[in-house]
This record gives sequence, structure tokens and C-alpha cells, in this order.
Amino acid sequence: MARPLLGWAIFAVAMLLLPQFVSNGTLRIIIFANFLAIFAMSWDFISGKTGYISFGHPFLIGIGAYTSAILSYRFGMPVSLSIPLAVLATMVGGTLFFLPALRIKGTYFALVTLAFMELMYQLVQVIRPDLTGGTRGISGIKTILSGAAPNFYLSFGLMFAIGLALWLLSRTRLGTALDAISMNEEAVSGSGLNTTRLKLFAFMVSALVAGLGGAFYVHYLGSIAPRALFDINFVFTIIVSVLIGGSATIIGPIMGAFFMTFLLEYLRPLLPGSERYLVYGMIALVLYVYQPKGIMQILKNLSLRTRGPQTGRSGNV
Amino acid sequence: MLQVLIQGFLLSGLYALIAVGFTLIFSVGRVLNLAYGAYLMLGGYAYFYSVQTLGMPKLPGFLFATGMGALAGVLMYRLLVKRLKGDQVAVEISTLILAVVIQAGVVLVFNDSSKILHPIVGGVWRIGSTTITNNILVAMVASWIILGGLLLFVKKTHVGRAMQAVSMDAKGARISGINTDRVNMMTWAISGALGSVAGVFFASYTQLNPSMWVAPLIIAVAVVIVGGIGSIVGTLIVAHIIGFMEIITTTFIAAELRGVFTMLLIIGVLVIRPQGLFGRGDL
Repeated sequence: MARPLLGWAIFAVAMLLLPQFVSNGTLRIIIFANFLAIFAMSWDFISGKTGYISFGHPFLIGIGAYTSAILSYRFGMPVSLSIPLAVLATMVGGTLFFLPALRIKGTYFALVTLAFMELMYQLVQVIRPDLTGGTRGISGIKTILSGAAPNFYLSFGLMFAIGLALWLLSRTRLGTALDAISMNEEAVSGSGLNTTRLKLFAFMVSALVAGLGGAFYVHYLGSIAPRALFDINFVFTIIVSVLIGGSATIIGPIMGAFFMTFLLEYLRPLLPGSERYLVYGMIALVLYVYQPKGIMQILKNLSLRTRGPQTGRSGNV
Repeated sequence: MLQVLIQGFLLSGLYALIAVGFTLIFSVGRVLNLAYGAYLMLGGYAYFYSVQTLGMPKLPGFLFATGMGALAGVLMYRLLVKRLKGDQVAVEISTLILAVVIQAGVVLVFNDSSKILHPIVGGVWRIGSTTITNNILVAMVASWIILGGLLLFVKKTHVGRAMQAVSMDAKGARISGINTDRVNMMTWAISGALGSVAGVFFASYTQLNPSMWVAPLIIAVAVVIVGGIGSIVGTLIVAHIIGFMEIITTTFIAAELRGVFTMLLIIGVLVIRPQGLFGRGDL
């Protein structure tokens, strides 16, 4: 317990000192990475932990973002009220998301969530465009803070708090039970645990995180549009971050989000447009096929190899 | 009314053509190929490049597009799907990543502006007050011919029957001396070819752009989910349900809502009857 906690503390101190050393441009990239890490952790808590793969996570993020944007922009509500309400709305949406998980899993569940996202994309443009802004979305939404450094602290604080909370949660017996669902759901229910309640809990936590992330993100950007949000490319970015980092590890999705965001930025001078995704996707694909458990597992294997067989294993020749 | 009927049949024919290659992979290989939409894109762009950029005649251009699709299918199977050894979720995730990679590749080669494909067959037809382009009429007829041919191929030929056997029970097929690996590879090639043929028609019906793969993928998913796994006849029926509902929604309610019904159908069927309306038939 002590060593990982020390790791979290070092991570926090290093990140908090960062604005002293790097440019505002870099800070803005990190802000994006922070938000991506939040979305990735939210995805990971359903899909990485319980094995219910969601292809429609922007559905949840979008509810959070749109609710807060509409409440503050159309009804002049203060952000301190609109964000909690947005999180609540996202959790209601999470219940809707959860219903199919009662009956179906695997491929079929993934497809239902994809359908949820597409449905949301189409409905947002048609139903009450006076509220949602239709196809063009809303711009000029109140931002919480201005400037790169304050926003960096805000987004990092949020990401760090969520990460630490999820990490502590995953170390409890509850977290272990959730992990077990992805391995064998029947066995978990056979050992007398109520899998429905466990799954509902995972979905609620995931929705809470997605709602928080979505709401804060929209108040950082100041604008929202359906095509950018309910997009299969956005799903792709989230999933790839988790898988590259290492799913069900909390720290993995954070690492993955940072790795992929910076990779995308460093490719910008070489390939300015969306061609960047060619290299980005290839790297993701090769890494995924080579090691489906991600960077975390690669690091673990490396440290095993360098430190020799004495850690953990016994009786090696 | 007549117009709805005609347009419904035309669109449904196109949708059946789009969905059938996807069904084939799902029933034989038991995996969802989320890069299926990319075949359509590859087919459309290959045809565009050979006919409208290089100035080749239409038929060789069409064959070139078909060949590209088949090649893409074989490569996908060899390099990706076979390595993942039937891990369904891994195949879905990696084909999704692959689709985005192919999209970026298309942007790199053709840039990301939309392109108009000239109609494959020119001219229009008039029935009463409705006009139909010959292009979409040919697409529908082609769709029916291809579906009929596929059904004959699966039922009558040796290879087709081997595909059927693998779709029923891969292990049993292997014991009976069928080379399942080769059957799988052929299925992927056929699926790729069908996808790119559908892509040429789909692109001439709408237009070519690097994100055109999402819409047909969702149609294919809807048809397969609602129709049940791997039934060619089920595919045909559900393609008509979806096609007609889209035309009816567009004509009588609002054009923007055309996709909503499809989504509700996917969600509803998956939650209420996950095995699909027509159950798990064999091919």
C-alpha cells in the first residue's frame, strides 16, 4: 500500500510543478490529456473491469456535457449548480445504459452501446434544437477559469482525484469482485454475490466519472457540437488510450491517454491533418496485437527481466 | 404511395447488398468485422481512382474495385484475425482501430474533401410521376442477382457447402477433412469483394468521403442483429424492413429522423430478443 501511494504523491508533485517548466502550448496539450484520461478511466471502469465493452461511451459523456452546457447557457445557471445536476443526469443515463447489460454481453452489448451513441447523435440535432443548438451545437458557454496554467491545475486536480479514488476503490473487496466479473460472471454469482448490483455499481461509478469529465470539459472548451462528440473516432481515441496503457489498472489509462495525446501532437509537424491517425492507429494496432494488456504489462515484464527471477517467483532454474 | 413503394424497394436492395458480406463473416467466422465499412470505402475509392482519375473503362474499374476488396479481406484475415485466434472482443476492437487507420489512409491519398462518383449507368426512368435513376435501379438488380448467386453458391457448390459446415460447427468440419483455415480465408475474400461492390453502388448513390464507412457499417450491423446470425434470407427481409422504414420516415415524418428507427430497432431487438427475429439459421 505504501509504495504505490508514494508513487501517486510523486506523480502529483511532479505534475503540480510542471507549469514552472513548460510552455503554455504544452500545458494545453496536457489539459487535453487530462480530460482524455478521465474519459478513459470512466470507460475502463465498465469495460476494463467488468468486461462489458462499451462502444458508445460518448453517450454518457455527451449527457454530462450537454446538460451542463444547456443549464448554464440557456438558463443562466451557475456552474457550481449545473455541473452536479449534469452528473446526476449522466447517472440516470447510465441506468439506461445498464439495462441491456442485464441480458446481453460481449459483442451484442458493444453494439447496443454503439446504437445508443448514434441515436443520441441523431436526436440531439432534431429534438429541441432551440436548446441543443442542433447540428451547429452551442458556443460561448461559460468557462470556469481562463488561461493555460489555472485550467491545467483544475483538470489535473480533477483527473488526479478521480484516479486516486478509483484506485482506492479497486483495492477494496468490491473492486476485486468487479474484476472477477470480467473473468467469469457465473462463478461470481455462484459464490453468492449479486452480480446485477455489482454491475449497476460499476455503471454508476463510470457514469459519474463520465459526467464529471464531460461537464468540466465543456466548461473548459466553451463550445459543444454533436459531430465532434458522438463520433466513432472519439470512441476510438478513448478505447485505444485504455488498451495501450493497460486496462483495469487505473494508472494504465492515464498513461495511455498521455502517451497517445503526445504521440498525436508530435506527429503534427509531419502530418498536419487527420492523416496523423494513420500512424497513430498503426502504432495502437501493433501494440495491441503484440501485447493486449498494454504498456503496464510490458513494463512489468521488463522489470521482471531486469530484476531477475527473485521477485515473486520461486524455484527458477 | 407508389413513390414510397418504388424508393423503398430500391433502397432496400442496396441495403441487402451492403449487409450480405457482413453476414457472411459473422456466420462463418463468428466475428464482427467492424472494418467492413472500410471495404465499401476502398471499393468506392478504387473505382473512382481507376475510372475517373486514370480514365479506365467502367467494367475493368469495377473488377479492380472488387479485387481490391477481396485482397483487403484476405490481408485482414491473414494479418489480424487469424493471429487473434477467435477472441471476439479483440477482433472487434482491432478491426475498429483498423477502420480508423484505413480512413486516415484514404485521407492521406485522396485528401478529405468529398468526391462525386459519376453514375455507373446514366439516364432516368419515369413511372407515373416518379423518376428513378437507372443507376440505383441497376444497383437493386445487381443486388438481387448477387444475393441469388450467393445463395446458389452456398447451397450447390462444394466450397459453399464447406462454408456452411464451418458456420455450423468448425470443429466438426475440421474432423470431416475440411481445411477450415482456407474456408475462412475464402469467406473473408468473398466478403471483401461483396463489400467493395456494394461500396461502388453506395458511393454512386451518395458520395465518396473518408468517413463514409460508418453509415453502411451501422446498416449492416442492424440487418445482422435484427435478422439473426448468418441467414441470407433473413438479411433480405430485414434489409427491406429497414429500407422501407427509412423511406417512410423521410417521406412522412422528417428526413433527419431517418436513422432513429434503425437505432431503436437495434436496441429493442438486442434487449428483447438477442438471437434476432429469425433466430440462428444456417447461411
